[in-house]
Amino acid sequence: MTNKSINLYFCNAFLILALSFFFNSLYAAEGGPCKDYGECDKFKYSLNDIESLQRGAATYINYCYGCHSLKFSRWGRVAEDLQIPEDIFFESLVFDKSIKPGDLMVGAMPEDSVNWFGVAPPDLTLVSRYKGDDWIYSYLRAYYEDSSKQYGVNNLVYPGTAMPNVLLSLQGNQRLICKDIAVIAENGGEKRDEYGNTITKEKCGFLEVEDGTGELTKKEFDTLIYDLTNFLVYVGEPIKATRERIGWYVVFYFLIFTALSSLLYREYHKDYN
Amino acid sequence: MKERAGKLFSWLNTRLPIINTFERHLSKHPVPSKVNFWYLFGALASVTLIIQIVSGIWLIMPYSNTEEEAFSSIEYIMRDVDYGWVIRYIHTTGASMFFAVVYLHMFRGLLYGSYQKPKELVWIFGCTIYLAMMAEGFLGYVLPYGQMSYWGAQVIISLFGAIPYIGESLELWVRGDYYISGITVSRFFALHVVALPLVLIALVFLHLVALHEVGAGNPEGVDIEEFVDDDGVPLDSVPFFPYKVLNALVGIGVFMTVFAIIMFFFPEGGGYFIEMANFQKANPLVTPDHIAPVWYYAPFFTMLRAVPDPLGGLIVMAAAVAIFFVVPWLDRSKVASIRYKGIYSKIALTLFGVSFLTLGYLGTVGVTEVRKIMSVICTVIYFAYFLLMPIYTKYETTKEVPKRL
Repeated sequence: MTNKSINLYFCNAFLILALSFFFNSLYAAEGGPCKDYGECDKFKYSLNDIESLQRGAATYINYCYGCHSLKFSRWGRVAEDLQIPEDIFFESLVFDKSIKPGDLMVGAMPEDSVNWFGVAPPDLTLVSRYKGDDWIYSYLRAYYEDSSKQYGVNNLVYPGTAMPNVLLSLQGNQRLICKDIAVIAENGGEKRDEYGNTITKEKCGFLEVEDGTGELTKKEFDTLIYDLTNFLVYVGEPIKATRERIGWYVVFYFLIFTALSSLLYREYHKDYN
Repeated sequence: MKERAGKLFSWLNTRLPIINTFERHLSKHPVPSKVNFWYLFGALASVTLIIQIVSGIWLIMPYSNTEEEAFSSIEYIMRDVDYGWVIRYIHTTGASMFFAVVYLHMFRGLLYGSYQKPKELVWIFGCTIYLAMMAEGFLGYVLPYGQMSYWGAQVIISLFGAIPYIGESLELWVRGDYYISGITVSRFFALHVVALPLVLIALVFLHLVALHEVGAGNPEGVDIEEFVDDDGVPLDSVPFFPYKVLNALVGIGVFMTVFAIIMFFFPEGGGYFIEMANFQKANPLVTPDHIAPVWYYAPFFTMLRAVPDPLGGLIVMAAAVAIFFVVPWLDRSKVASIRYKGIYSKIALTLFGVSFLTLGYLGTVGVTEVRKIMSVICTVIYFAYFLLMPIYTKYETTKEVPKRL
C-alpha cells in the first residue's frame, strides 16, 4: 500500500465518520441551555476594554453584590486589574470601611438569607465558567412580567427563577407578547394569498419593553448587561486577558523551536546519507 | 582542569555503567532508518509524562486535600499563586494530551502490527500503562472536587457495587466512607500523587527496557536484524542518538505548539478538557443535568450505557480494555504492517477506528433512542474487530514484504 492509498483510505474513514455525525445530529433533539428563550444570544467578551469592565464592576457592586458574593476574588485585585486607583475604588465602591484590599469579596448576606428567596443566592465568582457568558447575557435580558410569580416576574432563559428582576427600574416593564409573522413559502419568499396579501400566523414568546417605563433605552440597557457580563467573565478568570496575551509569545517561541530543530535534523540527516 | 574532570569521570565510570548505558541505549542503539510520523507518539508520551510529573509536584504544594478546601484551593492556585494558572493549565491540558498521544500510539501499534512476535511483552506493558493511566486520570479528576468530580466518582465507584457478593463492601472500601467525602478525596490524592505515578514510572521503564531488547519496528514490517554489517549493526538502521533524538525534537516542537495553543487559548477545550459543571463545587444534593465523562473515557462510558444491566455494562467495559492485552495472539497474519495485509484487515481497522470515535462522541452527549442503537452497533463493531481477527488475518491474501527498508 503506497502512502497515497493510505491517505485515501483515511479520507474514506473520516468521510464515514462525518456522515455518522451528520445522521446523529439529525436526530439530536435536546433543549438548549437558554430553554424557552431558544438559542442563547452570542456574547463576545472584550477583556481589554477596561472602561467596560469598570462599568460592569460598578453595576455588579451596586446591584448584585448585596446578595451575590464573589468569594474567590479579592477587592485589591479587582481594583488593580481594572486600573482603578485604590483610594478611589475603596471610597466609591466599597461600602464596608473595615474591608482591606487583600480581603476576599465574601458578600454582605446574613446566614438566614435562604428564607428570603427559598434558595441562598449563589456565589457568582465562577458563574461565567459554569453557565457560560452567552447564558448570562441572555438571562439578564430575558425577564418578563408574570403576575403568577412571587416577585411578579419570570424569565425565559431560566423559567421559575427565584431571583427578582433587580434591574427592572433600569430596563422597564418587559412583557411577553405575540406577533403576526409572515409565513415563509417553500421557495423562501413570503407566502401570499390570491389577492397578494401576505399570509401571517400568530407567534408568541417575543419580549418587548413597554415604552417609557425604564430609565434606560433598550440600547443603553443592553450595553449595561454587556459590561456586567464582561465583568463576570473577568472575575471568573482574572488572568484570562494576560493568558491570551502571553500565549502568542509562547506559540511563537515553539514555532521558532520547531523550525530550528527541523533545520538541525535535516543537517544531520544529510551527513548520514 | 580538563585532566581532573577526566579523572573524575573515569572514577565514576568504573563504579557506574555510564558509558555502557549511553552507548547501549543511545549512541549505539540501532533504530530503523525509515519510519513515519506515527513513530513519534511514543517519545511524545514520555515527554507528556514528565510534564505531568513536574507540573503535578508544583500543584501539590498549594493544593489542599480536604472536603472543605479542595475546591477553593484550586481557585487559590488560579488566582493567588504566582503563575499558578500556568501550572494548573499545563496539568489539565497535559492530561488530555497524554491520552491523545497514547491513543495515537496505540493506533500505530494496530496499524503496523507493533505487538507481533517478539514484541508481545512491549505491547503488554503498554496496555498496562494505559490501564494505570485510566485509573490515574480518574483519581486526578476527583481532586478539584467540583460537581463533575463528585458525580463522575459517584458513577464510577458505584460500578464496583455491580459486582456480585463483594460489590457493596468493595464500594465502601474504595470510597472509605458511606458516601463520597473528604476521606475519599484524601485517599484518592495519595493514590494519584504517590502510588500510581510510581506504578506508571516502573511500567514505562519496563516498556522501554523490553523495547530496547527486541528493537523498534517500522511501517514496512521489515525485520532489520536480518541484514547486518561486520559489527552486527543492522544495515537499515541509524543510531538513536543523535538521529532519532533530533527527529523526535521536531515532533516535540509541533506537539508543544499545539499544547501551547490549547493551554493559552482553549484551556477548557470547549468543555471537553475541563467540563463546565466542574467549576461548581461538589454538591451531593444537586445532580448535574447531564453527567458526561471527560473525552478520553467517553468510548468506554458509551459501552457501559449501551448495556441495560449494570453488571453486564461493567463486564463489557472491562472486556473492551482487557481485550487489548491478547491482540498479539489474535493476529494470525504472516505480515505485520497494514501496508502488506489484505483488504479484510484494512476494512476491519477502518471500521474499528470509526466505531471508536463514534463511541467517544456518543459518550459526551445525552442519550436518545437513535444514539442508543448506534452505541450498540459501534460496541459490536469494536469487539468484532478483535474477536474476528484470528479469522480475517489468517484467510486474507497478503502482499510480499520487501527484504530491506
